Parts: sequence; structure tokens; C-alpha cells
Amino acid sequence: MPPRAALSAQTRAVLAALAAQPLEWRHGYDLALETGLKSGTLYPILIRLADREMVDACWEADQPAERPRRHRYRLTSLGLAATTAALAGAPAPAGVTRPRRAAAPRRLASERS
Amino acid sequence: MERMTRLLAGLLGTTARVLPPSRRQWAEAIQAEAGQVPAGWRQLHWLAGGLWLVAREANMARKIVYWLGLGVVAAAAAWAIWLSWRTVPAADPESVTDRVRVLVGASALLVLPWAGRRSGLFGPVGSGITPRLVRVAGCAAVCGLGVSIVHLDRNAGAGGVLGSGTISWPREIAGLVLLGAVAAMPPVIRALKPQADAGAVWGPAGVVALAAFAVLPMQVLTILYVAGILAATSRRSPLPSAALAIGTITGLATGLIIYGVLAIPSDIALTGGIVLTLFLILAAIPFLVAAPAGIAAAWLLSGIEDPKALRARRVRQGLLAGATAGAAGGLLITVSAMGLGIMMIIGPLAGAAGGAFGGAVAAAHPRKSLPGGSWAAGMFVSSR
Repeated sequence: MPPRAALSAQTRAVLAALAAQPLEWRHGYDLALETGLKSGTLYPILIRLADREMVDACWEADQPAERPRRHRYRLTSLGLAATTAALAGAPAPAGVTRPRRAAAPRRLASERS
Repeated sequence: MERMTRLLAGLLGTTARVLPPSRRQWAEAIQAEAGQVPAGWRQLHWLAGGLWLVAREANMARKIVYWLGLGVVAAAAAWAIWLSWRTVPAADPESVTDRVRVLVGASALLVLPWAGRRSGLFGPVGSGITPRLVRVAGCAAVCGLGVSIVHLDRNAGAGGVLGSGTISWPREIAGLVLLGAVAAMPPVIRALKPQADAGAVWGPAGVVALAAFAVLPMQVLTILYVAGILAATSRRSPLPSAALAIGTITGLATGLIIYGVLAIPSDIALTGGIVLTLFLILAAIPFLVAAPAGIAAAWLLSGIEDPKALRARRVRQGLLAGATAGAAGGLLITVSAMGLGIMMIIGPLAGAAGGAFGGAVAAAHPRKSLPGGSWAAGMFVSSR
């Protein structure tokens, strides 16, 4: 069964960038440079991926002296499995495309892949 | 450039506050990350992306359009009041009556959302674009009603279609006192008898409302329409957005069909029989158009509860969608042809009957599920 919602090219690019170093925490500007996405495109994608529990997001633990704390991102195990499947063209694991809230919105046919 | 960057950073920090806490951190993340971006245009673009994120996550476009719409409604209400004040009472004996009508309508638009906000009956507006659009368009149509009344009476002169000719202050005052009593009765009854059920609370208010309607029909109808528009589009509305959209679109079609039927040129003399036939046609149109709307709205409902309960819910949803269609059609045709003000009563009643009939048909013939979903209101809704 194909995934419920096809991933956009931009989302795939973000996932691929995160999957290149799955154990490393990444920062927004690094991801923007690597994917070529602008902040107004990159961050909504990160928000959706975090909502779907595919990406972990957190602030740096320590406060550096010379700059504000940065937000960082890393794939979850669910996100890594979904990325591997999506980049290989295989179906995503169950539950990946379902948002966290209990009642997921119904989708129109035109939104389906 | 540096000043511009500082300005955008400050703007981002300020606007981020409109976001819910779960989303605010993302705007703050962009702001924090801006320090890593090379200064100049690239940093400016980065911060502009942050503002775009805030606008997107806060649904700002939707809110701005909604508030612009409310501004249009306020302007239309002010225009109706100004128009009603332009005519010298001596030149048109009905002008004072019109002023009262327009002021009552404008007051309803102003007071009802505020009065009903605490209980949630009239507000806040439901989420999504449909309730917002319907609310703004409906309130604008009510303002259009005021403008039409003033225009009609100014052209019709004394003894026009919508009044007895001159203002009757005792009648106006009696009607307004009755309306005040309708508004005051439910909270007073609740305060005196906290255990009273809904029938005991609203029943007496309904009787007094009928008396008020007999005294001041146009004013009471206007208030009822404003209350109906606000209730149907509030967050607590029993009508889901899709059913509201079906009802409203069908209502527009109803208005256009009636307008088209009446526009057919005819030199038939309006005898009693012809008037009765015309009346039946006018009642049949909302019924017939609301029936498919009721079917579509009822088919939107699904559930795994008791089939009898599901059937009752479907009939109710069909009835509400049909009433919406009839009311929207009645309001539209009255605004465009004020002489058909009776359609503001016939429309919702016939529409409710047609919608309930459609809902019953839908309940008796539930749609078969198609693989992956089903068709509803012209859209394929996936069940996966």
C-alpha cells in the first residue's frame, strides 16, 4: 500500500539531509544550506515532521556566551525508517503519516498520491 | 541594511507572540539561527522567512480577510443608517419607521455577538474559511436588507409595501419592550428556577417572541436572521462546515431560481387564484432545492452507533442544511426584491421541510462505501 500522503521534493530533501548523519543534531541554517531551501520553506517542513514524530527538535542544553541557544533537529527512529522507505520508493511504516492527534483529518482524493 | 535587519528581527520577535506556545519556539528558532546567517541580504531573507512562518502558522491571511470582511459589514451598516437619516420625515412618512428598522438591525449585528459570546451560542466564529465567509456574507446581506428597505420606502412613498404609512410610536415601543422581554426571560427564568429544562426556559420566550413578531414583523425577522447567521457559524454550531457550505450554496441557487421565475414577463392579472399558485410555487422551490441539499448533508454523517440514532442525526442534519438553504435563499431574494419579504419566512420553513425529507431519504438509503472512501457533496472523501 502506498503512503497516504506523498512527500514533497522539499520534504524528501530535508529528510535526506537529516538521514545523512542520523545520530547528529543538525541546525536550521546548516539544513538550509544543504537543501537550498529558504527558512520560510524549511521550517514549516520541520514543524510538520516534528508533529508526525519523525523529527526530534530541542534547544541546545548550554547557553553559549557569544550567541543565543540554537534549535537543533534529528530524525527519530520512526523518521529514519520512513526516510529510508521514502527514499527507496517503498511504502512508509504504519503510523508515520498520521499526525499525533487522535482524530486525523480526512483527506480528499486529490491530496492522495 | 543593518537597521532593516534589526527591524525585521524585532518584528519577528513581536509577531511570534501571536503564535501558540507550541509554535512560538519555531519562530524563536529562526530568530536564534539568524546570527549564523551572513549579514546582509541573506540574513534579511532568513528573517523574512521567519515572518512568513508566523503569518502561516497564525493563519493570519484568514484572520486579516475575516476582519476586512467585518469592516465591510460595519461600513455597510453605517451606510444603511446614513441612508435612513437622509430622508426628511415630512417627505416620506415611513422614513422614521425605516430608521427604527435599520437601527434595530444594526444593533442586532452589534449586540448579539457580544451578548452571546459568553455562552458560546453566537461566537466565536467557527474554525475554517466556510463559517467565516458565511458569517461575513450573511451579515452583509442583512445590511443590504436595511439599504433595500430604505430605498423601497423612499421610492414607494406613503402606504408602501412594507409599512402602514406612518410611524406608530406606541407600536414601536411595545414591540421593543416585547423584544427586551424575550432577551431577558431565559436568564431570569434560569435564575429563579435553576432546575428548569430547556423547554421551560425557552418556551415562554418563544411565546413572547411570537407576540413581538405580530407587532414588529420586520424587526423581529431581522434579529432572528442575525441570530441564525451567528449561531450557524459559531464554533458550537451543530452544522459542520461542509453542511453549512452545502446549505449556503443551495440557498444562493434557490434565490436565483426564484428571481428567474419571477422575472418571466407575464401580463396575467393577479387574481386570488393566481396569487395562491404563485405562493405555492414560491414555497415549492426552496422545498425542492433543499431536498438534495439535505440528502448531501445527511450523507456526510457516518457513525457506528445505534442505527436509529444515526438516522435521527441524519434527518436533523438534513433539516438544518435545508433550513440554511431556505433562509439564505429567502434573504437573498428579499434583498434583491423587497416585495418578496414573505420569503424570509417561507424560505426557511419550506427549506427545513425539504431538508428533513432529504435527510430521511438519505437515512433510508445510506451510501455504499467505495474502496478507499465515498463521495459526499461533490468531493471524494478518503476513509483511509
